[in-house]
Amino acid sequence: MSMPSLAMRRTMFLALAALIANGCLPVPATQQGRQIADLYGIFAAGSIVVAGIVWVAASVALLGSRRAKEGLPRQVSGNLVVEGIWTAIPLVTVLALFALTVATLSGVDARGSGGVSLHVTAFRWGWTFTYPDSGVAISGLPESPPEIVVPVGEPVHVTLDATDVNHAFFVPRFLFKRDAIPGRPTTFDFLVQEAGTYPGACAEYCGVFHAAMTFSVRAVSRPEFDSWLASARSSPSAAASAGGSPSASPSPSVP
Amino acid sequence: MSASAPAVAIRRTEPPALVAWLATTDHKRIGVLYMVTAFGFFLLAGLMAMVMRSELAQPGQQIVSAQTYDQLFTIHGTLMMLFFATPLAIGFANYIVPLQIGAADMAFPRLNALSYWLFLFGGVIVLLGFLTTSGAADIGWTGYAPLSEVRYSANVGVDLWIVGLALSGASSIMGAVNFIATIYARRAPGMTMFRMPIFTWNMLVTATMILFAFPAITGALALLYIDRHLGGSFFDASRGGDPIIYQHLFWFFGHPEVYIVAIPFFGIVSEIFPVFSRKPLFGYRLVILATILIAGLSMTVWAHHMFTTGRVNLPFFSIMSLLIAVPTGIKIFNWIATMWGGRLSLRVPMLWAIGLIYVFTIGGITGVIVASPPLDYQFQDTYFVVAHLHNVIIGSTVFAGFAGIYYWFPKFTGRFLSERLGRLHFAAWMVGFALTFVPQYQLGAEGMPRRIVDYAVSTGWGALNLLSTLGAFLLGLGTIPFLVAVALALRGPATAGDDPWGGNSLEWATSSPPPHHNFRRLPPIRSERPVFDERLARAGIDPAAVGVEPDVGPPGAGAADVAE
Repeated sequence: MSMPSLAMRRTMFLALAALIANGCLPVPATQQGRQIADLYGIFAAGSIVVAGIVWVAASVALLGSRRAKEGLPRQVSGNLVVEGIWTAIPLVTVLALFALTVATLSGVDARGSGGVSLHVTAFRWGWTFTYPDSGVAISGLPESPPEIVVPVGEPVHVTLDATDVNHAFFVPRFLFKRDAIPGRPTTFDFLVQEAGTYPGACAEYCGVFHAAMTFSVRAVSRPEFDSWLASARSSPSAAASAGGSPSASPSPSVP
Repeated sequence: MSASAPAVAIRRTEPPALVAWLATTDHKRIGVLYMVTAFGFFLLAGLMAMVMRSELAQPGQQIVSAQTYDQLFTIHGTLMMLFFATPLAIGFANYIVPLQIGAADMAFPRLNALSYWLFLFGGVIVLLGFLTTSGAADIGWTGYAPLSEVRYSANVGVDLWIVGLALSGASSIMGAVNFIATIYARRAPGMTMFRMPIFTWNMLVTATMILFAFPAITGALALLYIDRHLGGSFFDASRGGDPIIYQHLFWFFGHPEVYIVAIPFFGIVSEIFPVFSRKPLFGYRLVILATILIAGLSMTVWAHHMFTTGRVNLPFFSIMSLLIAVPTGIKIFNWIATMWGGRLSLRVPMLWAIGLIYVFTIGGITGVIVASPPLDYQFQDTYFVVAHLHNVIIGSTVFAGFAGIYYWFPKFTGRFLSERLGRLHFAAWMVGFALTFVPQYQLGAEGMPRRIVDYAVSTGWGALNLLSTLGAFLLGLGTIPFLVAVALALRGPATAGDDPWGGNSLEWATSSPPPHHNFRRLPPIRSERPVFDERLARAGIDPAAVGVEPDVGPPGAGAADVAE
């Protein structure tokens, strides 16, 4: 067998790996999300190998017994060498996965400089987003979920907290979520690489309208962001009253 | 005198059957009560799951209200974890552990009865919430504060949930004390620690874990109750408390709990693989060591449920969680090695055990994925985690639970469950399992959060959710053949005999069902397979000729008649 079959096999393997990495996860929209997707690709490929080994070994043991002779099979009670092998190989595998995890973690959790600050407050059952540098605040409840605007290619520094119960800030296309816990603010960065609108939701069960506690993030170019910010500042009511104030009692038309 | 004469004499002095069952301290009857009650809660929680899956089958539809849906997922999780999985394990152990170690009963039979009744009433109290005007608890089975504080969940259902869980926790702790005392103190002569059947070993480890884990939730529930009704502020940040402490306490219990409901069931299949492969368990001592390692590591991984809080040491909890894959992998490979070169008998118990290898492996692997914090950032609180947890718990508790029922039913009753219905049951569950949970992995990866009553059409999640719902109904329908098999078997004649499978451990050395004090006679115990050894000796086979390794432990007692 020659080059074409090898190339074909390689292509098939890459196609399979790409299918797993991109077929399961949404296409990441942020720098951090790409790092997570890359790590996931490695874990997913490893998973297929491990599942394959176990399933094939179990199937061989199962089918092999058809050839077993009548009477009692040999009473093998163990073998330290093979048991050592299937202890050592998984150990090395998880240590390698751990090293990759730590490397990815430092990238995902790294804080950039410049960019935009954003204060996110979650409450039952809506969100308030404040841009502390410009004083613009956007708030929304389920009947008109809030949309925030961020510039593409710049880090957004988020400070997240909650006013009542636990919530979580989750944007699937960012491959990222963080819990919003009352009295325990937390910080993280995201850097959107691709212009677009990305739906988000509360991921931590917070009561009866949890399912309706959505928002979206619209990523635009810096000039567009600046003009949006200016118009939001000059007509605060237009943006800030998009969904009423956080203290308003919610009466969303959701299940 | 014939063997049946004394039994008849005893029966005359017994109270009516109902009173006998209510007042029983016999470990076998308590075991049956545990198993039947736990299975009842399983059916109830399963029906709740089918209602929830109906609600989610299509976007925008309303089968139950959001309030009802929230109660259903809370009680479903609570029943499945605390009133099905844990007590089912305790039920099996109640019946089997004293038999396997050659004891007449548990160390503390009345404490054993008290454990059962606390468990039953704990479950009933949780369910009573549905009869209140404000409904049952609707705070998730994890009961996170501050949502579970009275300011956000004033309904009395939450208080009933707290009390019910506290009772069942006390029941579990009493049971654990009882098992540890029984296993240490009531083993038959010759039954050294390294001649104990593997299921008994797994229960010893499980009972030890219960003693470490359950006090944490009992404490958390007490603090929550104080917050709710006695002016406390343990979990109220605005008054100096900390909501995150609740999560630590809950998961300090909750993660070991996942292994508390897995390890006994690993023990069951570790019994089944050798018997149905006609070989000893491959690496008996390494499997015990792996069990102890899993138990030890499981106490150090709780905060992997809290990666997205941003307030835990991510590398520490990540590496500890990843390491659990190693001893778990050892078990799976040792089970496969037990089958390897064996003469397999593919009866229904063995089918479930083999099914467990295929299914549980996927749950283990996705567990490695969510043990990595950056990946967990995407998967936490989504249907990926829902699929993962059902994969490991159905893959261990339910598959091995059914394996154990089909395996020990002849011992419990003297009757076989139908092989044909058992195969149908197994096939429906293999297909139903894949159909229900594979779509959920994909939905979670796409970002569908858990515990939502509805989702928008624009998400595109409708098709996969419909598949998952069909799978859930297949699981529900697939349980019917099992119920029919039990009903038919109980009406049929007792044909199983004492040792229908060619068993290894002492429960197969007595009648089916065993007499009141279990044994009239014990075989010599010189390995972890005394019944096998005796069968070999009766057949006149030289153990060395079939590769049985000579026992190097202390000499066991000879065959002994048991004084009643």
